[in-house]
Amino acid sequence: MSVRNALLGLLAQRARHGYELHSAFEAVAGGHELWDLKPAQIYSTLGRLEDGGLIIPERIAQDGGPEKRIYAITPAGQHEFVQWLQTPMESQHQRDEFFLKLMLSIATSIVDPANVIAIQRASLYRELHLLTRRRSAADPASALAAILWIERSAMHIEADLRWLAMIEARLDEIQRQPLPTAAPRPRGRPPQRS
Amino acid sequence: MAMIETQNLSKTYGSGSTAVTALRAVNLRLEPGAFVAVMGPSGCGKSTLLQLLGGLDRPTTGDVRIEGQALTTLNDDDLTTLRRRRIGFIFQTYNLIPVLSALENAALPLALDGVRPSEAQSRAASWLERVGLGDRQQHRPSQLSGGQQQRVAVARALVTNPALVLADEPTGNLDSRAADAIVQLLRQVADTWGRSVLMVTHDPRMAAYADRIIFLKDGTIVEETHLASPLTAAVPEISDLMEAR
Repeated sequence: MSVRNALLGLLAQRARHGYELHSAFEAVAGGHELWDLKPAQIYSTLGRLEDGGLIIPERIAQDGGPEKRIYAITPAGQHEFVQWLQTPMESQHQRDEFFLKLMLSIATSIVDPANVIAIQRASLYRELHLLTRRRSAADPASALAAILWIERSAMHIEADLRWLAMIEARLDEIQRQPLPTAAPRPRGRPPQRS
Repeated sequence: MAMIETQNLSKTYGSGSTAVTALRAVNLRLEPGAFVAVMGPSGCGKSTLLQLLGGLDRPTTGDVRIEGQALTTLNDDDLTTLRRRRIGFIFQTYNLIPVLSALENAALPLALDGVRPSEAQSRAASWLERVGLGDRQQHRPSQLSGGQQQRVAVARALVTNPALVLADEPTGNLDSRAADAIVQLLRQVADTWGRSVLMVTHDPRMAAYADRIIFLKDGTIVEETHLASPLTAAVPEISDLMEAR
């Protein structure tokens, strides 16, 4: 969905051909290191957008090389793009392996959870330091998307660090709590829904 | 040789049953050009460490060496002189003198040290230029933004060419944009001007600019994290960062 709508948006900016869309997508996504979009996906997406009446091939350019179909957005495409822009995205709460490490260090008491936290914190600070250097070195005139993306990654790490500090400050209290145990589950078939 | 060094630095306030140990056996080395952040919960000994490093208070045991000079061997007058010439201070609340201009504030440590006013002012002007305030020399602190006032404080801290700059929550009163600018300036103080910088901060974002973070708890160093090891000293590509995530 995101690539489809991003391509619509780039065509809302102006009519372009597939190759141009590829480099324009890279520029807004923060570089091909961040989002390596394959040309094949662009052409298949353009095909579907055309079938759906959201874009139309405006003309064919041929400046010496092979033919290039130049696409333009339709009013329906414009409408869909605006709808997409104005629809909020849910934040992503992914599973986290470090969270499991922390909970299991608390549950097993084989390694001090404070030690597990300290190791993770040092690693997060090293990552944050690299991002900070990278951000300082980037040129806002040419790398706006990359800078904003670095800022996003950095702030997520800052949030993780604050969360670790909160856990660390409460660790004594947390370790006195009963360990997490599984809630009893009913055996057999689940009851039929009516 | 380390420029700044502490040896088993300890400080106890009070005595007998009411004694409180604020710092115990802290060993620390700062090379020229090192930028070190100190973090830890309140009451961990951060302020005491700054006071002792800055020669504002004397340790119960142990010593601080600034460029080889042990502070405990100095009498009060010599300590004051060393503090004025070799140590720059930056505070959370800037601590500028309201009735003096930016230029006069920045020149103050030199004036107190007996440097001729014309020389003091020209050195202060050159530092104001370097911190980006060349066009604000005659402004009073009240006519400057928080970020600008802190830049004056940085110029004042550097005007005597100190070996060590001590910054106590220097971005604590600033919005995030001004805070970034000040900590980048401190990075420059270490990288470009070769001073050792020690900054106390609560903010992970600010601490991440440093080369090293020292975590204090109950008066001792519980952890020392090196952020810029030789392996990571080169600025990495974004792809490396993404793989690291």
